[in-house]
Amino acid sequence: MQFGMILLVLVIACSAAGSLIVQQREPMEYVNRYGSQTAQLILALKLNDVFSAPYFFVLMAALCLNLTLCSILRLPRTMKAAQQLRTNACGVQPTSALEQGQADRLCGLLKKRHFRCEECDGRKIYTKNLFGFYGSFLTHLSFLLVLVVGAAAVVTAQVTDQTVMPGETLVLDDGASITVEAFQIEDATGKLDYASQLVMKSADGKREAAKQIRVNEPLSFEGYKVYQQTYGTAGSVLIHNNLNGASEVMTLIEACFLTLDGKNGMFFQALYPGYVTDADGSVTLITSTSGDYSDPVYDVLSVSAGMMTPVLAFPGETLTIGDVSFTLQDPVSYPGLRIKHMNTAILGALYAVFLLMVAALYLCFFTVPVAVAVTQDGYAVLAPKTQTGLLIDIQSCLEEEE
Amino acid sequence: MEILFFASIVVYFAATMLQAVGVALRKEKLCRAARIAFAVGFALHTIFTAWRGIAAGRLPLANQFEFASGFAWSAAIMGLVLYARLKQEWVLTVSMPVAFLVLSYAAFQPMEIKELMPALRSTWFALHIGSATFSYAAFAIAGGLGAHYLIQLKKGHAESEIRMKQTDYMAYRLICLGFLLLTVVILSGAIWAEQAWSRWWSWDPKETWALITWILYAIYLHQRMRMKWQGRRMAWFAVIAVFCVLFTFAGVNKLLPGLHSYAV
Repeated sequence: MQFGMILLVLVIACSAAGSLIVQQREPMEYVNRYGSQTAQLILALKLNDVFSAPYFFVLMAALCLNLTLCSILRLPRTMKAAQQLRTNACGVQPTSALEQGQADRLCGLLKKRHFRCEECDGRKIYTKNLFGFYGSFLTHLSFLLVLVVGAAAVVTAQVTDQTVMPGETLVLDDGASITVEAFQIEDATGKLDYASQLVMKSADGKREAAKQIRVNEPLSFEGYKVYQQTYGTAGSVLIHNNLNGASEVMTLIEACFLTLDGKNGMFFQALYPGYVTDADGSVTLITSTSGDYSDPVYDVLSVSAGMMTPVLAFPGETLTIGDVSFTLQDPVSYPGLRIKHMNTAILGALYAVFLLMVAALYLCFFTVPVAVAVTQDGYAVLAPKTQTGLLIDIQSCLEEEE
Repeated sequence: MEILFFASIVVYFAATMLQAVGVALRKEKLCRAARIAFAVGFALHTIFTAWRGIAAGRLPLANQFEFASGFAWSAAIMGLVLYARLKQEWVLTVSMPVAFLVLSYAAFQPMEIKELMPALRSTWFALHIGSATFSYAAFAIAGGLGAHYLIQLKKGHAESEIRMKQTDYMAYRLICLGFLLLTVVILSGAIWAEQAWSRWWSWDPKETWALITWILYAIYLHQRMRMKWQGRRMAWFAVIAVFCVLFTFAGVNKLLPGLHSYAV
């Protein structure tokens, strides 16, 4: 039992170290922060990644083993004690004497406290919270289950991050699909609200779910959860082939060369959210991509006849290079989705063990089993746990009446 | 309406002083005046909290100021309810300074009402943070009772044996309540984190220190229930553990930035 306490103290020590020492950084950062010798010690003891260190897993495994043994050893004792409490109360000798009339007052107090009364061999047996016997066992069991099911939930979950352009559909490995119908950064009132309107369909296309997802509101569908994780802004260009009249819209996320013949075309370099015109008339591009794209500027190279000409272009402008026209359009914002697939049985089990843990703690602390045997001459309190509160109440009740 | 907040601090302070003098000099009239002042302070504090909630259009527990105010309010209501049930002066002797000190701490935090950030707009907000305020308040009062026990012990049982046992037992019961609520905080936080960030647990400093606090009190309860530790040892434990609660509450926000940094 004390071994369990030692393990808990070690978990505290590891957790404190893991929160006070910055985690998962480059070795040089530890040298810069803590000095060479301390950094060496941190790295040697794996204190730079405590929660992934082998000793932490060993500690957790030992804790699980300890809880398992505690639960197994506790159960027979608990069951036996629960069965024997009433039997023992029938045969127990009073441990405290009662004076004339005090027995009735004690019985009155116990009835007021909702004790159940039974007659046994000419004495009154008051019992309460007998199910509370299992509180301690269930607490240990639920703690063990939280660790085990929680670990299973983390290990079995499959997580992928994807960017999907509005209007596009992402097909997952099992055939299920996610369509991003729309994405917004602000709501109708202008408040920041990163939200994607999604439609998710099962592999056979027979079942579907639609939802606007945002932080705290993922889409749940057949074991999948789709989260609004990040967002980005991409350029957009309408490409028109002047020879055959064909047109196509392309999204520009990273640098690329758009060409028909491999020689002439437009080389997209970057999209900037805006620009500032200085006093001398020169233009400085805003490179920060965290804000709105209020005045977007395309940085492209016009490649023609072996010549590359840098061009800063605005949405609406058209560059004609050879037989192709490139019409730059307003940028498009797109969501970064996190798609998590989880076993629904494990998920349900995890919620169940969370509830079990709260219920078990309530049983453990607030439904303490107790039996009180009362005769005309005295009484005895039988309880497997501390009953200071009841003893004080009985003592106070008897003293007050005197 | 902010005047109500400062008025609450002043009235809590007056109540604390009256109670301290009343208990020291054994003047029941002073203690009664302290109780009335404490109830008045609590009423003012409640009105301020309700007003702030209405003005913000949400539960006023979204930043360090509001959380500290909620923590003090929880301590005050716990003290008043326990007093109403037990009619013991020492309950108020402990809960009054807790409410006053925590509310004074709140006064040093930025007070402006801000819109609830998207990450906090969740149905779990009320349960997660509401439970935390009551949990911390229970631990703080238990720590205060531990200190009260130790002071009485040093005085050589100035109070009767039964009162000492009652103090010790009440600290234990409050820790039981605080522990249960802290469990709700941690579990609801895990569910909320999974809803918001797809991860149940991230070893974020606030999460980690909440877990450390939880384990610390688990050890307290284990030693109390299984090893039958009581009295002086448990009183010291309750007092020392409060520092861990305070670090989780305030220290982490200031010293260890993480996912819960909006709580500053």
